[in-house]
Amino acid sequence: MKQIQININGVKQNVLLDSHDSLAQVIRKAVGLTGTKIGCEQGSCGACTVLVNNKAVLSCITPAAKCENKSITTIEGLAKDGKLHRLQEKFVEKGAIQCGYCTPGMVMTALDFIMNKPDANQEDIKMAISGNLCRCTGYKKIIEAISETLTDKKTNSLINTSNQFPIVGQGRPYLEATLKVQGLADYCDDIPLKNPLYCKFLRSPSPHAIIESIETHEATTIEGVKYVLTGTELPIPFGVLPISQDETALAVHKVRYVGEIVAAVAAESEKIALMACEKIIVHYKNLKPFFDIPSSLVSINENDKIHPSTKYQNNVHKIAELRFGNTNKAFEESTYTSQMQFEFSGINHGFTEPHASVANWDNNGLTIHTATQVPHYLHRALSKVLELPLSKIRVIKPYVGGGFGGKSDPFPHEIIIAHLARKTGRQVKVTLSREEVFLCNHGRHPSTIEMKICANHHNRLTALDTDILIDGGAYGSFGVVTSYYNGVLLQAPYELDNFGFKTQRVYTNKPQSGAMRGHGAVNSRFAMEVLMDDLAYQMKMDPCVFRLQNFLDQNVLTVGQFRITSNGSRESLEKVMLQSSWNNRYGKLPYGEGLGVACGFFISGSALPIIRNDIPQSTVHLKVDFDGRVLITSGTSDIGQGSDTLLAMIVSEVLGISIDKTTVLAGDTLLTPVDLGSYSSRVTFMAGNAAKDAAEKLKFEISKSLSEIQTSHTDSFIFENNKVIQLESSHSWLWEEAVEIAIASRGAISVSGKYISPKLGGDFKGSGAGLSPSYSFGAVIVEVKVDSETGLFKLINVWGAHDCGRAINPLAVEGQLEGSWHMGIGQAISEQMSYFNGLLLNNNFLTYKIPTSLETPPMSTNIIETNDPEGPFGAKECGEGAIHPIIPAIANAIFDAVGIRINKLPISPEDVLDKIKLRRQTELNLVPQTQQ
Amino acid sequence: MKVENYYLKPKSLEEAFQMANDNQGTFRYIAGGTDLIPNIYQKNCNASCLIDLQEIEELKKINRFENYLSVGAGLSLENFETNQDITQSYPVLAEAAASVATPVIRKTATLGGNLLCDNRCIYYNQSKWWRESVGNCLKCNGNICIATGSKRHCYSEFVSDTAVALIALNAQLLVFNEQGEQLLKLEDIYSGEGVNHLLLKRTTIIKSILIPLDQKYKAVYNKLRLRSSLDFTSLTTTVSFNQNDQIRVVLGGVDPKPVLVLGDSKSSIENMIQEALKKSRAIDNEILSRKYRRTMIQVFLMRSFQKLKSMDKY
Repeated sequence: MKQIQININGVKQNVLLDSHDSLAQVIRKAVGLTGTKIGCEQGSCGACTVLVNNKAVLSCITPAAKCENKSITTIEGLAKDGKLHRLQEKFVEKGAIQCGYCTPGMVMTALDFIMNKPDANQEDIKMAISGNLCRCTGYKKIIEAISETLTDKKTNSLINTSNQFPIVGQGRPYLEATLKVQGLADYCDDIPLKNPLYCKFLRSPSPHAIIESIETHEATTIEGVKYVLTGTELPIPFGVLPISQDETALAVHKVRYVGEIVAAVAAESEKIALMACEKIIVHYKNLKPFFDIPSSLVSINENDKIHPSTKYQNNVHKIAELRFGNTNKAFEESTYTSQMQFEFSGINHGFTEPHASVANWDNNGLTIHTATQVPHYLHRALSKVLELPLSKIRVIKPYVGGGFGGKSDPFPHEIIIAHLARKTGRQVKVTLSREEVFLCNHGRHPSTIEMKICANHHNRLTALDTDILIDGGAYGSFGVVTSYYNGVLLQAPYELDNFGFKTQRVYTNKPQSGAMRGHGAVNSRFAMEVLMDDLAYQMKMDPCVFRLQNFLDQNVLTVGQFRITSNGSRESLEKVMLQSSWNNRYGKLPYGEGLGVACGFFISGSALPIIRNDIPQSTVHLKVDFDGRVLITSGTSDIGQGSDTLLAMIVSEVLGISIDKTTVLAGDTLLTPVDLGSYSSRVTFMAGNAAKDAAEKLKFEISKSLSEIQTSHTDSFIFENNKVIQLESSHSWLWEEAVEIAIASRGAISVSGKYISPKLGGDFKGSGAGLSPSYSFGAVIVEVKVDSETGLFKLINVWGAHDCGRAINPLAVEGQLEGSWHMGIGQAISEQMSYFNGLLLNNNFLTYKIPTSLETPPMSTNIIETNDPEGPFGAKECGEGAIHPIIPAIANAIFDAVGIRINKLPISPEDVLDKIKLRRQTELNLVPQTQQ
Repeated sequence: MKVENYYLKPKSLEEAFQMANDNQGTFRYIAGGTDLIPNIYQKNCNASCLIDLQEIEELKKINRFENYLSVGAGLSLENFETNQDITQSYPVLAEAAASVATPVIRKTATLGGNLLCDNRCIYYNQSKWWRESVGNCLKCNGNICIATGSKRHCYSEFVSDTAVALIALNAQLLVFNEQGEQLLKLEDIYSGEGVNHLLLKRTTIIKSILIPLDQKYKAVYNKLRLRSSLDFTSLTTTVSFNQNDQIRVVLGGVDPKPVLVLGDSKSSIENMIQEALKKSRAIDNEILSRKYRRTMIQVFLMRSFQKLKSMDKY
């Protein structure tokens, strides 16, 4: 150990360190400034950026000893006397902050940049931040924030709009943005601890094996080791879906993927826990592994299967199949047919905050803070596996650094530390490394899709038939839903009378696949939109016109009885056609340049809950007391998408009060009413409606009290501008006065609002899949430039439009759309999970290639408003649907540029080049033949 | 027994060299550390003693030395993007420096460090647990190459972008070792063997890089990678032509060492490209395939020659 002096944010600090400790560790642990985040541990994400002697440095790969006697500035050192630095103000104002986990590093990088390059242009800014990965924003608003700081553009009053009207429809930064931009928002790894134990895992090196023995004795004797846990102690299976309870907290008797947890150690330090893990000896008897879809389809003996209990003779987990109309007849009678085979790599969510959890055990039972999208499902899983009454479990969601579906299942590490806390009576903490985050996966399923569609001589789409194979990895996760979504979410946005699909989900010996943004429908949407483009090409028809001719109308039922209410498909497509000058440019660009289009749609929450019951899907409570502040409590999880702000906006709007008179408390299963959480794009629609319902009730209660003293009707009061006004007399009370009158006789008021989806859909088996009270629609046009000698291509422009019903917070909606498009670009151009014998090859941000600011083209963001009849203030989803159209739009643009059809994601330059060569060869071969 | 970690900060080359000799077998020099620290994190390097060279002022100078521009090995890569002597006289070096990693990393990473950056392979640059699970490869004391199945040869990729540009500029190194100062051709320090890709003794320190001032190079630089930032190279090329009618074709990312092909204005371009291809022992050990990278060697070189032709001639 060595003592060094460093100056942090102007304060001299003496810190004791192991000579090789990183600066990030010292700042976070020894000094206790947790604004500096760790996202990758290896210098490839930028979240840990700080200034050392005014120069931006990656603190996770800088030895602290290097910084002896140097001056360090962290994010906490920027604001002075409670006032934000103007760069921070701009980040807040422009909506450059979503989950906020990359924000501190991004701000520090930008700060160094603006100090040194005051005359920078947009390209310079993009370059400067190209080592700071953001998974939420698509960088657009970050670039705007930096650019406006440089041009010294006056800060718009937006940042201080907490007391301004109107509310709904007025874009505003997240309520917590000023905390996040200062590094003051505590994510799970930042929570102050009391005498904690640290947990580390021993993971399986084998993809498929029987555990013959585990020897833990030596590990238990190491000083500082408090508990060594193996699978047999927690044998009860769990899973997010009641029908796929196929996973255990630790492997029991058998391992099913490389990286599966075999043992866990709780110790006084992470180092000791790691050392102890290395002392555990496990004997495995290897079984034949299954690494891909074809091998998992082969019939085998019961005991050779990954899950012997499944009902099929191979490793198939689920078969989902639905058929409507008469597809065979439609194909026989069709004029145009297009058929292709598609292949998709697995995709990881790539949220910047690694999983982390802290568990405590006391006389109230278990309390666990954890980075989760759905406290409720974890609550249930903990109860089941730990055999604890639900009433003895409290799940709390702190700030969460992104989820995208990857934090919506209950996870083994959460269950394990809960158990360890109970067994040791101590606080237990776990933070996963980036490699472990990749091993958790639950990302988009690798898939193979065979699809054909056809149209009649009126250029009307008549049928779609598809066979889909998806690789589920070792466990079920959301896979049954994924299997259905792959198919059912093809029945819009185009009218389709004959439609059939069959999806088979297989188990393989790899980390499990699950739900990821655009759940289930992203890959099949890609296939369909490429085929749509091909049909239009065969018809010699503009692909936009072809789509416009085939769109479903509003207020219709689809072939599988989805109830479409509001529908902005047409407006969306027309908008991006106009913006991209489609009619003047499509098909007219020189070889190598192209435009492509695609459309999509998505659910606004599932109409049926995963766990069938009659409990409302969302409940929101409001409490108001003498202080006039409205406390909004909700079980939703704000994971960076802005749901807390949304709830506050809705309640404020209804009550006519400024948003600063509200406070949101969310994601705490003890204090907040149950909500099904943040997934399937349900929060705005469902929790938003519940919040609106609750606010209407509160309004009624206050009106009732006022009407008693005024002898008027309860509906004769107007709530606006922080006042309550009686219509007839024009008498008005300040909000606080009205509240005081209301609580005078009865005490503080609590009301409860709820949302339950209407009964929807047909009565056939599988009819529930994809049902939603409302659907979003959208369209994207992309411009690309392809280098026909290298196969490399560049995105030049993205024009996107999305029908979100009504944008309650337009700034947040734009952020969701831009983030979706960015994530789609990643799947299209560079992201893939690659395996070698079941080992994930690219388990860090250097080799798992999330697009940087330089890969992200200019994006024109268009919000289309259709005022959904059932959405809160007309709103519906915007967080997932926008990812669907962008990926096929890129592929279709490449077709326009160089005439090749893309049927494999990610689109590799090698594949592009091979196809260009093949096409040239075919053309060359054709020429002499026609001449003969 | 746990070995105590040391972090030493010599003020002179002599002191650094002495410290290195005192800690033989357990030490590593560290400059920016942007390559070394991730390797330590992954336990590909288990040095307990780090000798930090960044307080040695001698390593941070740029000056003229006879017919050379002498640049200190300790200068950060960012310097080479902005320094006018460099951007005007050796634009390819500026371009190469600007193509390394990310802008923030280039503020820390040094030129010397980049020249000595360890070779890479997707089966090697992994955590200890990962490597043990797959079975250790040749480069981590195992007995088989995972990528090729070879029991003898490691073909981990040489990934220094600046070395490619500097070799094309015929740069030399002034190194400090037991003999005092010694001048070496840059291309001569690389072994061509993936496990230990350097021929330098571990105690040797690169003091400065000497780039000829009198040869008036025209050169074209290119780097292949999926993302325009952050990524290591899949193929780096530089083709240079000087007033003495020498052509130097240098490739990185496709062999355990930089590939160098020499020629002159009478050489057949096709032959030089074929020779470069022949010398490149690229294997499938990264995201882009061997086949594709070999195709790109031809495309990049052909384009470079075309671009050179369009530049002024001597």
